[in-house]
Parts: sequence; structure tokens; C-alpha cells
Amino acid sequence: MSAPAITVPHGHDGHGHGHDDGHGHHGHITLQYQPGLPLDRGKLIMWLFLSTEIMFFAALLGSYVVLRFGAPVWPKPHHVHLSEPIGAFNTFVLICSSVTIVLALEAARANKASLAKVWMLLTLLLGTLFLGVKGYEYAAKFSHGIYPAMPHSRIYERPDLYYGSAVRARLGEPAMIDRLKELDDTPADRLTAEQVAARGRLQQIRKMVASPEQQAFDLAVVADQVMPLPTEGGGGDHGGGHGGHASGLNDIFPWLRLPVVIPGGNMWASTYFLLTGFHAIHVGVGLLVFAIMLTWTLNAKRAGAIENIGLYWHFVDLVWIFLFPLLYLF
Amino acid sequence: MSDHDPHGPVTRPGASADETLQHAIDAEHAGHGDHHSHGGLGKYLLVFLALCGLTTMSFFTYSPAWPWRDQPQVGWTFMMAVSCTKAMLVILFFMHVWWEANWKYVLTIPAAMMALFLGIMLIPDVGLRNRMVSQERALHMARGSDVRLLEQAGEAQALEQPAAH
Repeated sequence: MSAPAITVPHGHDGHGHGHDDGHGHHGHITLQYQPGLPLDRGKLIMWLFLSTEIMFFAALLGSYVVLRFGAPVWPKPHHVHLSEPIGAFNTFVLICSSVTIVLALEAARANKASLAKVWMLLTLLLGTLFLGVKGYEYAAKFSHGIYPAMPHSRIYERPDLYYGSAVRARLGEPAMIDRLKELDDTPADRLTAEQVAARGRLQQIRKMVASPEQQAFDLAVVADQVMPLPTEGGGGDHGGGHGGHASGLNDIFPWLRLPVVIPGGNMWASTYFLLTGFHAIHVGVGLLVFAIMLTWTLNAKRAGAIENIGLYWHFVDLVWIFLFPLLYLF
Repeated sequence: MSDHDPHGPVTRPGASADETLQHAIDAEHAGHGDHHSHGGLGKYLLVFLALCGLTTMSFFTYSPAWPWRDQPQVGWTFMMAVSCTKAMLVILFFMHVWWEANWKYVLTIPAAMMALFLGIMLIPDVGLRNRMVSQERALHMARGSDVRLLEQAGEAQALEQPAAH
């Protein structure tokens, strides 16, 4: 592959490929350059790039799998507020975008430039929709205190004394003391029934956390009040049953932002944000290229470029095909 | 590559070097007519429907109707099989690999093998790291008992709450 210049060897002519520069040199010693692989340079480079990408994502996915199965505890998807239907919807969006980009390529090959542009615009919109849904999911994680790293992350691994003291420290912050006092002084008729009940629970929690001799079970009760882990019996359902989305104190009073307990949650958050983050960056790069290409005339001359970005886009789809079950359904 | 070894493994057996190269370049540059034979809206639509169907199949493992809910390994195996099928459909048809010349093996097989080895190499250091952990780590890491504790606390609350109303 050290001599990639495409020059057609002697003896062939007249196929209109524009590379025949007419060597009439039988018997002469001439250097002949051949491509390392019989495909054009852009596509070769794209495939080489994709083969490095295969290894890149294989390392990430492989790390995820071995971390997940090596961990003593790994959170269930609903423990970390993952919504399987949303993930499935995003899978569908990406599959659709793979179809539209392949149709853009077909249209460009048939020299239907405006049709190719429509398909490419559709691909761009679908990719944007994917990122939008991903952003919505990230926002839901952040609102539950699930971040990849410490300054923002409020995840504790177990309901132990460290957790108890973290809750106590949060409740003892000056701003929090004022806010809690304000809540205590609010007349009950200005709160919803749910908020009144939650206020009672919060007062109990404050008493429990303030006492120094806590048992593990008490701390588990605190953790359960702050952000319950959905129980397994409810068919993994989100809204219904105990531990539904909105029943924790953190959900009812979003300003509380108390530490939460998700066993195995820290490693989960690291892998989730790393995998989906790198995937989202790839989607973003694809969208950028689509946006640039939309300014071109997408006729048969551009078919090669569309094919190459198409290959990249299908690869991004491919990664998601594995990410979706591994993250949402395992 | 030298003249001595014209195309290595990518040459069609029996074809002369010139012929093969010519064919390849024709296909890449001038042979737009070629692509229509394997393109076709119908084929892509079929692949699209298959992908949607397969996604629904793996999503089915999440539904209460999935019969192996208490044996997650069955679901995992099933989902990976479905994912590999989907991946093959995308690679073969959307990425046109089905219609490509033999160069496809030169690029994909080494990359796939490296990927596989990479995954396997992670097992001893990363996957098995919790077999032998320090006392300090053991103190702080989550255990299955923590999940049970939280679930018990949840159940206790769930029982208390209706009584409180």
C-alpha cells in the first residue's frame, strides 16, 4: 500500500474511465503503480478508518462487558432510570436514517441531485432527532444525580455511614437549612397532598439522620425515601408500583438534591456516559458532514463522497445496534 | 507491492493482473450502471423491515411475556444473536459489502480478530479484578446484600404507606 497512485497498466483503452494515459511501451521497462487494494482512495481510507473504529468500539464495548460481568453488583436498567421504549425508539430512528442515507446514495448515482438532497436532509433530521432524544435522556439522568464523575454525581454505592453522613452534610448546608425552614413554615393548604406527605417523610428522615447510632436498615430506609429502587415484581415497569419515577423526595422536592444510593451505580454511570458519549460524538461528526454536503450539488460526481459518509453513518448505526441491548436490555 | 506479486489475495483466480485491476477501476469509476443491479428500493425496504422486526424481537425480552425472565442468560444470548444478525444485515446490504470484491476480507477480518482479542485480553485484569480486592475496597463496594436491603426498605415503606392514609 505504499504506492497508492492509480495508474492503469498498459494495454487497455476505451472504457471511458479517464485514467488511460496511453502508454505504448511494450518491451520497455516502466514502473507500474497499482493500488494496494482495488478500490478508490477515499473509500480505502474510509474502510481503514472504520477498521480502526471497529477496534476502538470493540475496546469500549469489551470493557463494558467485562466490567459489567466482573462487578459484584450491577444496577438494573430501571434502577438507573433508563427507559427501554425510548432506547428502542432511538434504535428505530437510527435504522431509518441508515435507509435514508443509502437512498441518498442511490439517488446521487442515478444523477437525481435534488432527490439525493432530500434524502440527505432527512438523514440529517433523523440524526438530530437521535441526539435530541439522547440529550433528553441525559437530562433525566442528571436530574436524578447520575453523573459520570464526583463533583456532580450524587451516587453512593451502599447505604452505609458514609451515605448517612453525606445526607446529613447536605441537609446541614446553610442554604438548605433556610429552605427546609421555609418548607416547614409553609401552610399545608399551599402544598399538594403529595408534598404534605413528603414533608412529613422528610422530617422523619432529618430526625433519623441526625441520630448517630444508625443501623444499616435505617440508612436503607433513608435511601429508599430519597430515591427508591424500583422493585423487581412490577415487570420492570417505570411509572407503576412502588419506586415509580416520581415518588422519591428528590423528585417531589427537586431542590433537595440529596445523595442517592444505587448499588453499582458509579461504574454503571462511567461506562454508560463513556459509551453513549463517544457514540453521540460520532453521530455529531456525521451530522456536521451531512450539513456540509447539503451545500453541494449531490449528483453522480459526488456519489463517491456520499458512499464514504454513508459507510461511516452505517457504522455509527452498527455501534448503536450493540449498545442498545447491552445498555438498555441486559 | 511489486510486479512479482501483482495483487496478492485480492486477485480473482485465473484473471490476469491487468484484467482484474481494470475491472475494479471500471466498477469504481465508470460502472454506475453496475450499482443498479444490487441497489433497488425493494431490497433496502426488505432489509429495513427485517431490522425493525429484529429490534422488536430483542425488545420483546423486556416485555412481561418473555418466558425466560428468571434466566437472564437466555435473553442475553438471544439479544446478542439478534444484534449480530442486524449488524450483518447492515454491513452486507447497507454498506454494500455483499457486492464488494475480495478486498473486503483484507480489511474486515484482521480488524475483527483484533477486536475479539482485545475483548478477551480485558478479562484477566479488568473482568476478574473483583476476585481479589483489598480490604478497603471491599468495605466500600456495593454487594448484592445492599440491593436486598434497599428492596426490603422499599417493601416496608410500601406496606406502611397505605396504612398511613
